[in-house]
Formats: sequence, C-alpha cells, structure tokens
Amino acid sequence: MNEKNQLAEREQNAIAARAGDQPTRRMTLTPAVDVFEDSQGITLWADLPGVTKEKLDVRVHDGNLYIEAEAVVPTPTGLRLQHAEIREPRFARTFSLSPDFDTSKIYANLQDGVLKLTLPRRVEARPRQIEVQTN
Amino acid sequence: MSDLYSGTDLFSEFDRLQRQMESLFGGLPSSLRSSRFGAFPQINIGTTDDSIEIVVFAPGVDVGGLDVAIEKGLLTISGERKPAQGVAGDGTRTYAQERFTGTFRRAIELPQNADPDRVQARYTNGCLSISVGKRESSKPKSITVQ
Repeated sequence: MNEKNQLAEREQNAIAARAGDQPTRRMTLTPAVDVFEDSQGITLWADLPGVTKEKLDVRVHDGNLYIEAEAVVPTPTGLRLQHAEIREPRFARTFSLSPDFDTSKIYANLQDGVLKLTLPRRVEARPRQIEVQTN
Repeated sequence: MSDLYSGTDLFSEFDRLQRQMESLFGGLPSSLRSSRFGAFPQINIGTTDDSIEIVVFAPGVDVGGLDVAIEKGLLTISGERKPAQGVAGDGTRTYAQERFTGTFRRAIELPQNADPDRVQARYTNGCLSISVGKRESSKPKSITVQ
C-alpha cells in the first residue's frame, strides 16, 4: 500500500519535471490503521487527528480505496513553531479492494479524529452454512 | 557508508537512522525528557507573544481519562487509549494493528516564564490544544530610547 503511494507521487513528480516546474511533492503522512475482518466484512480504523468531516475524502475508484484527509488545528496568529512531531497536516493512504466487498454499502464514521470504515462483504460472498439433508 | 564498521550491527544502524531522521525533522533541540521518536501521542509546540501553545495529537481518547497536570514547570499529559474493537470474538481476524493502545504519558518542560495559573485545555477532533499563558513581565516590550 505504501508502494502505491510512492508510485503515485513519482508519477506526479515526472509530470512536474517535464513541465519545468519545481518538483513540489505534496508530503503526506500515512495514518496508522487497524483492520479486522469477521464474517460480515472488514472494519478499518484510521487515526486522523485534527481532521473534520469536511476535510476528509474517502472514495473507491478502480478497485482501490482512497483515504485522504487534511488536519485543521486552530492556532493563534503569530505562532512560532518550536517543536513539531507532525509537520504535514495531510494524510493519505490507499488500499486495494478485493471484488467480494460491496462498495455501494461502505459506511464511514469520523469521531474524535478516528475514522471507522465498515466494508461489508457481498451477500453471496459471506460464508454460509449449508444444511445437509437426510432422507 | 560505514566502511570502518561492519554493517552487521542492526541496532546501531537503527540508531544512526533515527539520528538522521531527527536532523532531518528540523534539527530542533530536544529535551532530555522527550520521548523516543514516534511516541504516542505526537506533540507540536509553538509560542506566541502571550502564550505557549501545545497541540497533542491524541485521536480516539476518552476526555474523561485525559489528565493534564503542571508540576514545577513540567507539563504532563497522560491517559489511556482503549482498543477500537473490544476483545476479538471467534472468527475475527486481525490484519493490521498499527494504532496505539494502552496508557501513555508525555512530559513537556515549560519555560521559566510560563504561568501555571493560566492554562486552558480543549479537546476537539482528536487534538488536545493546551494554551499556557506567559507572565506579564516576560512579554516583549518596546523600549523607548531617551
């Protein structure tokens, strides 16, 4: 998944270089995630501190799940940064989705800077117990 | 890069990498009490003319369990982050567990001019913003030349 991010960045750089611009690479942070799967589907939790609903973009495109967000932390004017462990307010992470997920039923919830995504499996892809008949 | 020493000592390589990262990330002097790189929660500190502003990136933490205290010029932030998903039931598989869980504690050395009586803390969108006022006497003043 990281490789995917890097690939995308490299392509952008190539274009930028061809256009004769300064290579302005948008640095992004990779948010930490938890991923669990049960018989219903996958639940993903991602740490996105300082991100509001308006600044969060979750989308599915070409079988990939994109999570992009920007943190907005209100600071007083005239602030001089002295120590920074988070330097870039942008988060991005991409996952590939297997076709057994029902992408039309992805549910996203953001609370206290934690994104919870539930990706249900297609009904036909859920494990089923097959009843054995006896005569 | 290190011809003199064989490259088999993995841990010293990590140390070297960490030092490089530190110099890369600003080269700001770090305190003796600062935690290792990448500790939870991450902290940014800035100052204005009137206050010291601290932002603690602590998503998904219960506010009731957050403890902010100042003692002898040392600001400590401690609390606990519970696992997102309780005890995994049967048939639940875990593919990634990168998010921090458990108790945490971080300390920040406040400068001499910090006023421990003027502290405000606010938790929004997973960020704890702490504002510590500066004493009047330390504020910048323009001096009239006689």
